[in-house]
Amino acid sequence: MTGPADLKEFVAAYLVEAEEHLTVANTQLLAIESAQRSGDTNPRAVRETFRSLHTIKGLSAMVGIEPVVAIAHRMENFLRDSDRSGGALPQPAIDALLRGVHAIEQRIAALSRGESAAAPSDELLATLDSLGLAAAPVAPTASAVLDLDPTILAKLAPFEVDQLVRGIAAGRRALRAEFSPSPERAAQGLTINSVRERLAEVAELVRVLPRAVPVSPAAPGGLCFVLILLTNSSDEMITEAVGLDGSSSLHCIARDQPEHSAGAELTPINEAGLDGAEDRMIDTHSRRGVVRVDVSRLDDAMEGLSALIVTRFRLARSIASLTERGVNTRELSEIMNDNARQLRDLRAAIVRVRMVPVAELLERIPLLVRGLQRSTNRSVRLELESGSAELDKSVSERLFPVLVHLVRNAVDHAIETPDERRRRNKPEEGLLRITCGARSNTRLELTVSDDGRGIDRAAVAKKAARAVPNDDAALLDLLCIPGLSTREIVTTTSGRGMGMEIVKRTIVDQLGGELEVHTELGQGTTFTLRVPLTISIVDAFSFECGEQRFVVPVAMVDEIVEVDPSALVHVPANDDGSPAVDIISRRGVAVPMIQLAQVFRLKTKRNRAGKAIVVRRAGSPVAFAVDRMLGQQEVVIRPINDFLVRAPGVSGATDLGDGRPTLVLDLVALSASLSAGSQMLARTR
Amino acid sequence: MKLHVVFSLAGAEYALPFDSVLQMETYTGATLVPGAPAFVDGIVTVRGLVVPVLDLRTRFGLPRIELNLDARIIVSQCAGRVVALRVDSAREVLKLDVDKHQPAPSIVSERSSGFVHAVHPLGNRLLLLIDLPKLLGENSHDLQPSHLLEADGSAALLQLPS
Repeated sequence: MTGPADLKEFVAAYLVEAEEHLTVANTQLLAIESAQRSGDTNPRAVRETFRSLHTIKGLSAMVGIEPVVAIAHRMENFLRDSDRSGGALPQPAIDALLRGVHAIEQRIAALSRGESAAAPSDELLATLDSLGLAAAPVAPTASAVLDLDPTILAKLAPFEVDQLVRGIAAGRRALRAEFSPSPERAAQGLTINSVRERLAEVAELVRVLPRAVPVSPAAPGGLCFVLILLTNSSDEMITEAVGLDGSSSLHCIARDQPEHSAGAELTPINEAGLDGAEDRMIDTHSRRGVVRVDVSRLDDAMEGLSALIVTRFRLARSIASLTERGVNTRELSEIMNDNARQLRDLRAAIVRVRMVPVAELLERIPLLVRGLQRSTNRSVRLELESGSAELDKSVSERLFPVLVHLVRNAVDHAIETPDERRRRNKPEEGLLRITCGARSNTRLELTVSDDGRGIDRAAVAKKAARAVPNDDAALLDLLCIPGLSTREIVTTTSGRGMGMEIVKRTIVDQLGGELEVHTELGQGTTFTLRVPLTISIVDAFSFECGEQRFVVPVAMVDEIVEVDPSALVHVPANDDGSPAVDIISRRGVAVPMIQLAQVFRLKTKRNRAGKAIVVRRAGSPVAFAVDRMLGQQEVVIRPINDFLVRAPGVSGATDLGDGRPTLVLDLVALSASLSAGSQMLARTR
Repeated sequence: MKLHVVFSLAGAEYALPFDSVLQMETYTGATLVPGAPAFVDGIVTVRGLVVPVLDLRTRFGLPRIELNLDARIIVSQCAGRVVALRVDSAREVLKLDVDKHQPAPSIVSERSSGFVHAVHPLGNRLLLLIDLPKLLGENSHDLQPSHLLEADGSAALLQLPS
């Protein structure tokens, strides 16, 4: 392994941690802002923001992301001064700090995409610098002698040298420690991150530099981290904290010398602790027992489980064929039952690991709304209600862009300008309310409501060149027509066209959820999203239709009914080749029934007999006739990503143990695509 | 010199750069996907991924053949997509001198809809080099199958099981 490759692993961890701290910084800055609006200060939030930026700076320096160091350092400096002066931050400063956080976010995002971080604009740096004018760094004392390798010294920024000089002047010792990551050390829990965290408890970390060194037993990765620190602690305490095995890796680079005592007038910096070491210890402590994991590792675990489940199917099959041949398989079957239970437990355990609080999903919304208010000149009060529900990380990740879309539409287009609202006798401040909560064990309901102008059905219909929809469901179908997203319609019809197609595709097609809208002209609009809390593995019915096997998630099925051919009512068919519709009677209610084989153009021997799977679409039942039900089992759903093989009504594929993919059907989406007048399935070849 | 996978299709030999090939497998058929274009046989699972199988014969306008023991799929990746190419047979991996590639005669590139971008003489054989990005990437990701169908007049809206 080479040095740079090694560093890559740290970068991945760095990106995760940096994002976390950026979220904290954003949240805290908004808290500071809201305190400042009500004429208050929030010193605690200032301190938290400072800490986050301090950490971001340290981490960024460690992996050599200089543009981020440059921004974070300036923000950190200013925040430190603000903290010392009681935590007051004027509005322009908050704006500048939020801009700074945003600039860091952009760079972190670029790094996540594998691009490099752009240098910050001079204007941004100047803005941040102008905030800290009062706290211009004291020029390094010329008498400071740092006993450091010139190549290392050259990598230290002036402010870091300054920091060292001040520290030394304040009587602390400057040390250089070295740490080389190795598999053995990692096995003992010694990684650069753990070393850094432990060191932070006994020393102030000035800089962590990665260096490529010749591969040796001591540095099997050819990588070594040089840690420059300031401390009052003894060498023993440092080596113990770091878990270094010998004094050889610790070097004193400078200590306070008599001739430096003149420097005593310099203010000692007290940043390792701010509130002292105690606070920091508590912080560190609360993190113990929490493991941050890359989602892809969880996916690996899930993948392994999926393979196990597929193997189980195969086992079950071969046991069944043994039984058919008259072999006594009672004990085997018992073992299989145990195995099934264990797999279910294991699955539940992995699913739990993947769950993240819904609140996390909403964390970034306040910042988004704040930005939108400014760019659109709207005044909006945001109400968030997130509850304690948890949902799968992969669902959460898909849901977030949808939420952003809906919020953006609501602020940008639905909520009127303050002037207009006054004219309409509404409060100047618009209301945007987002609620989020588990509706059952398996579904999450999310609502986004505004008290804006509502959607004008007639105007939407005119734009789409369709008849005026007579209810909200029909209106939603119109809004989700691909291409109904021109700028024109955005402005003339209160702008619900934008991106609704994508919203629907994500919620309905990708997540297998439901989307509803309720709107009243002049009163406001509410979007309701219902999505499964988890995806990937579901309980499903398998069935046969037209000599092909399919599965459908149990959660989607209302009922499975026997079709009595003699009681069928045939609906006169159009000549356009669209699937014929029959009517079956279910407890006195007429239910339309569609032949699935006909929809998919599959050959089928049976005609109109067999079973029908009933699903509900927007409350009304629709039946799909199939040839034969095969059974019920847990299946692993794999996404079908390639556009060539994405089809309406097909939500993924699974392996029932025969090594071949079996299509997982979304009959709700299929019925929607049939009745939404989508011509796709109706056309003949 | 660059490694290439050589496969045959209706009597002609084609080559594909080895570094765009993930693996080769025997082909025993795919699961039909309703509404997929005619040149898509269906889906197969490769390394836990569900990937479409492109029938290169249909894609190149050649007559279909029954499935036999020689049939292979070449699982290829390009621009983030993984797609399996169904070919008549694939037996060789050869080192080819890229400098000896010759531009495809216009009639060849026309008849192959531009999917053959060069030819490579090798003894008395002639290898046709596939332009994989063009073959896979000529339709944008945003296109839905229905759009594809309109673009490709020959494609069936809903494929009948064979």
